Amino acid sequence: MKPNQLFRSVPPVQTWLLATWLLLTWLQASGVAFGQGKPAANPGATLFEKQCYGCHNVGGGKKTGPDLMDVTTHRTRDWLHKFIPSAQGMKNSGDKFAVQLFSEFSPIVMPDQTVTPDQIDQILSLIDELSAKKQSFAPGGGRKLRKPTPKDIPKGRMLFTGETRLRKGGPPCISCHSVQDVAVLGGGTLGPDLTQVNMRRNDADLTGVLKSPVLPTMSKVYLKAPLMDEEVVQLFAYLQDVKGRTPQPTQNSSRFFVLGAFGSLMLLSLMNFTWRGRLRGVRKLLLRERQP
Amino acid sequence: MNVRLQMSMVFHLDKCIGCHTCSIACKNVWTDRKGAEYMWWNNVETKPGTGYPTRWEDQSKYKGGWESNGNGSVHLRASSKSQTFANIFFNPDLPSIDDYYEPFTYRYQDLFDSPEGPDQPTARPISMITGKPMNIEAGPNWDDDLGGSPIYAENDPNFTDVTPEEKEALFQLERMVFFYLPRICNHCLNPCCVAACPSGAIYKRGEDGIVLINQEACRGWRFCVTACPYKKSFYNWSTGKSEKCILCFPRIETGQAPACFHSCVGRIRYLGGLLYDADRIEEVMQSKEEDLVEAHRGIILDPFDPIVIEAARANGIHSTTIKYLQKSPVYWYVKEWKLALPLHPEFRTLPMLFYVPPLLPIMSTVQDGTVDMSQGGLFAPVEQTRMPVRYLARLFAAGNEGKVRYSLKKMLAVRLNQRMKNVGDIDPKLVSAMMAELDTDAEELDCIYKLTTLASEKERFVIPPSHREEAEEMLQEDLWGAKGEAGFGLLEKPVRGL
Repeated sequence: MKPNQLFRSVPPVQTWLLATWLLLTWLQASGVAFGQGKPAANPGATLFEKQCYGCHNVGGGKKTGPDLMDVTTHRTRDWLHKFIPSAQGMKNSGDKFAVQLFSEFSPIVMPDQTVTPDQIDQILSLIDELSAKKQSFAPGGGRKLRKPTPKDIPKGRMLFTGETRLRKGGPPCISCHSVQDVAVLGGGTLGPDLTQVNMRRNDADLTGVLKSPVLPTMSKVYLKAPLMDEEVVQLFAYLQDVKGRTPQPTQNSSRFFVLGAFGSLMLLSLMNFTWRGRLRGVRKLLLRERQP
Repeated sequence: MNVRLQMSMVFHLDKCIGCHTCSIACKNVWTDRKGAEYMWWNNVETKPGTGYPTRWEDQSKYKGGWESNGNGSVHLRASSKSQTFANIFFNPDLPSIDDYYEPFTYRYQDLFDSPEGPDQPTARPISMITGKPMNIEAGPNWDDDLGGSPIYAENDPNFTDVTPEEKEALFQLERMVFFYLPRICNHCLNPCCVAACPSGAIYKRGEDGIVLINQEACRGWRFCVTACPYKKSFYNWSTGKSEKCILCFPRIETGQAPACFHSCVGRIRYLGGLLYDADRIEEVMQSKEEDLVEAHRGIILDPFDPIVIEAARANGIHSTTIKYLQKSPVYWYVKEWKLALPLHPEFRTLPMLFYVPPLLPIMSTVQDGTVDMSQGGLFAPVEQTRMPVRYLARLFAAGNEGKVRYSLKKMLAVRLNQRMKNVGDIDPKLVSAMMAELDTDAEELDCIYKLTTLASEKERFVIPPSHREEAEEMLQEDLWGAKGEAGFGLLEKPVRGL
């Protein structure tokens, strides 16, 4: 290949690729969600669900953090703009209200949010809007694929216990959660007992968590392996079914302890039996025999 | 005939004064290290006594040695291969540190640091393992000179054949008697430690029969500790490997006696090479208990026999070495004179450390300025020895009293012969009658006398040259082999943990 052919040899395919990439970048930058057909109805709502809803309600009462109904009237926009990206900084600088908030919700500390001022404005205007209408925030993910039927309950249970695998490969609920009727030893204890989860969360809320968990630990675990819509319905049906049974998480943990202690004891006695002829010392025995 | 060379030893117990110099020499050279504080590759025990570790001879507890199946074959007492495999992470037959003793030192700094007060400051005893203050309850020679004998000497496992009257007499204050038993690794012909090692880390050197633990291959399973009936394999808790007496092979290779031999005050130790027939080991270890000593002696070959010399040459033993073997004091004591006996041959490992049993008649009474020479006096007949022959036979001949009695009688004959020559108050008929009984002559008795009392260092330690130049040539024939097998020491320092 001669040197001057180098420039002429750029194939037309590569030119097209470059053009497509440029177009895509522009589409993304201008906020058009490529491939979804239409942009989200309310960007504030999407943001709120993603960033805030894990800890905050608007109108639904306290969660991990305070209810944000009417927050825009209680605090100035400036204060909110400073607080959201750097809540801990505010507390450290000695802001009276920030300190009070932190002591109220201690030991949980609001993490610094990586949101742009524009995004904060979008969220705040959503809160404004909801507060004015005295409306609670309903997460967009709360819509289910279909209505759950009684057939879904055993299927949900299988999913919960991991007997059926989650289609996308996410870990089964039982690894962190327990409900009243699973297994002898109950499930994991990292997450809360879910027996009464429907008393604590409304249906839409629960469905939202199942679809796209905003809780700090769950969101990371299920980020790449979300639940399928069908699975959401089945698990929802199951959790709905166990609703009302009395959770006894304390009993669960003590049962685990007792079983563990019993198991260890059995194992130790088995070992003691297996090696019953072992050498148990000579000199000490000699002295002991000597002393009456 | 598969002739091999074994560096072998004789300890003359009649000469041992129990000074522990050998133990200290060994300690200073080899086991003055972290993890080895409790080890005494060489130790000196008082007999009767329980020794170190406590009651080590009691194999119903420690499970060491070979056990005869009754039909001729033998097996390791502790475990078969499958049992070893099943118990590999928990060997159930290990002596505890308490059975050895918890090594201790004293916090001497306390003497300098304590505040002024009405009392003298004391250096508190501290454990050399934990470094914490401790109560000293035992030591490697705790029952030295019959110390604590109601507990220790009383429980000596060798009293099985002794009558209660004899035993009681032993502990009467006026008749009390004891002797010393220095012990090192026996470098056995059929070592249990080698047989028991799951890692194959223990081996018997071809050139001189020294049994060694490869520190690179040892995985610290400690089955050798259990298997050795003499409890001369020790576990180092710091390196996580087992260690044992190496018969100071770096010294032997340079023609020097091992440290414990060299430092021996009573000059009780003899070192020399023996030729033995490796093909007959299996046959010997299957002998009946009473025949064990004779069979053991039988495996040792005559270094003057031209057939043996020829076979030795064929097996790579240098012709100059043969001359050293002919002068080997061990050969003379064990094979020719039949004086030295193996310690506990019933463990069937064919130990290559032999003991001349102690002739302990000397509790003479002096009357009118002369020693009592009557029957039961200075030269009392062997039947009247204060240490019952049955006890010595349990220790040195697997219960065969004849072997011990012969040895003791011969030593008595040596004494009588010398007394006859020097003082002249012994009836020559008595001496010649003894010679006839023992099938010996004045010349042999003279030789025994000389090697026992007058031998120089060169006569006591007859160490054949190691012929490293030949070993070098053998290695060079196979350079790749040489790369794998020779070197400057450990590739990795034996340190435990990550």
